[in-house]
Amino acid sequence: MLMTGAQYIESLRKLNTRVYLFGEEVKNWVDHPMIRPSIDCVAVTYDLAQDPQYADLMTAKSHLSGETVNRFCNIHQSTDDLRKKVKMQRLLGQKTASCFQRCVGMDSFNAVYSTTFEVDKKYGTSYHQNFLEYIKFVQENDLTVDGAMTDPKGDRGLAPSKQADPDLFMRIVERRADGIVVRGSKAHQTGSINSHEHLIMPTMAMGEEDKDYAISFACPSDADGIYMIYGRQSCDTRKLEPGADVDLGNHKYGGQEALVVFDDVFIPNDRIFLCGEYDFATMLVERFAGYHRQSYGGCKVGVGDVVIGASALAADYNGASKANHIKDKLIEMTHLNETLYCCGIACSAEGYPTAAGNYQIDLLLANVCKQNVTRFPYEIVRLAEDIAGGLMVTMPSERDFRSDLAVGKNGETIGDICNKYFAGSPTCTTEERMRVLRFLENICLGSAAVGYRTESLHGAGSPQAQRIMIARQGNIEGKKALAKAILDIK
Amino acid sequence: MKCGVKFCGGCNPRYDRGSGYEAIKENLQEEIDFEYAEEGVAYDVLLVIGGCTNCCASYDQYVTKRGVIKVWDLEDIDKTKKILSDFE
Repeated sequence: MLMTGAQYIESLRKLNTRVYLFGEEVKNWVDHPMIRPSIDCVAVTYDLAQDPQYADLMTAKSHLSGETVNRFCNIHQSTDDLRKKVKMQRLLGQKTASCFQRCVGMDSFNAVYSTTFEVDKKYGTSYHQNFLEYIKFVQENDLTVDGAMTDPKGDRGLAPSKQADPDLFMRIVERRADGIVVRGSKAHQTGSINSHEHLIMPTMAMGEEDKDYAISFACPSDADGIYMIYGRQSCDTRKLEPGADVDLGNHKYGGQEALVVFDDVFIPNDRIFLCGEYDFATMLVERFAGYHRQSYGGCKVGVGDVVIGASALAADYNGASKANHIKDKLIEMTHLNETLYCCGIACSAEGYPTAAGNYQIDLLLANVCKQNVTRFPYEIVRLAEDIAGGLMVTMPSERDFRSDLAVGKNGETIGDICNKYFAGSPTCTTEERMRVLRFLENICLGSAAVGYRTESLHGAGSPQAQRIMIARQGNIEGKKALAKAILDIK
Repeated sequence: MKCGVKFCGGCNPRYDRGSGYEAIKENLQEEIDFEYAEEGVAYDVLLVIGGCTNCCASYDQYVTKRGVIKVWDLEDIDKTKKILSDFE
């Protein structure tokens, strides 16, 4: 059954998720001003699924139950599903100008779905059946799930089993007849606090000595032994300022990351999807990463659409929109943004069915997509800052603009002075100009830069990870053969 | 006449699809019952409103007796109204 955004928020209140922020436990994290924007952002993924104007992208028909499910819970059945996934992500980026956090779950479902099928085929295990039951549960209850891959990794030069502290990668610490006990953590977890469940995957290729680290499983976010330490974002405490609105940049939505700690958590057998089959860690990692690199060709494009729009508004409000160089910068931003979208659509259109039957994206094109995402948003925000002007980082606070403290010789207030000297084009109020500039500040170097910039660089794998995949998939030998054929070289 | 309405998902519409739909309904609501398309319901005609030329909304799952009209541009609005009127 599809939930509404309000039902989703209420469902979070029923969880006993342990959240820590600024060294203290946050009991009512649902209403915490630093956390709530990210919850409201996920709620949009529920509300738009109820709206006939967006349902074609936001929902899909489950191949398991035949029921309509939120596309974030869908197992892709065609290249059309893959394309619609990217389009949905662009739509949500446009509607939230933020990371809406639910993609990691969708991408992990599809990676675990196909990988468990192939593990079972080789080892006679029952992980795929376990996962089928799990995904039915997720679909029926319209859950948000954190697909969690990234371990802290400690010394990057050492394998999991060779780390000085064995907990730096998630591992099995006890095997029992009814399940396993796991210890470790997952870092940089987008939307983890806002998720009903966690779906854990290994973080990298592993050898036989690492088999206690080759694990995949699911558990409730409030399972005994799990707790989360909230990640700081630039300018995050602006959200704690009384009456904060304009200075937040995006006063409606935001993203969220946390360190999720598993302090000896019991996982029952029916929620285990990989348990020691280390030779399948690479497949699971590559498939999840591939889907997630495709995702960025949608979500960041949608946010980019809003950045371009805000930049154009800033130009209007500055009275500069007719300048040719401004028009050219907006063209360049659009070109970069649509190039990312081209990559997202291309890797989807070139998708193929896995042995399990769900559809996988083209890995080469998905990695090219993400490699571009590590660069283009940076150029887009550079151009946005160029168009906006320095005022976006030197402007007084909204409290100054609203202050009635008299400071001028003729009784002018601070608010009067700010509104006088920061007025722009007569087509806008000073507050409207402020709002647009604060939005750009937030996305370029405030809390939203976490999602639009650094997440674009490191999320779904850092640039070098894509270059390794591009090298593997690039078929240089085939290209040499092409050249030889033209040149009659044997 | 019963008209089922299906929107594309609106990833990057080139116009306001909702306003376009309202414009199509204007002056036709007395003769035509517009409703969001549902599976298992037979419609005289299906109106598919896309946001761009791709008009990618899925609609094969719906039953229509007299066919499908696709709209993907504001310029299609008057033409669509005329087609719907002629259906009557």
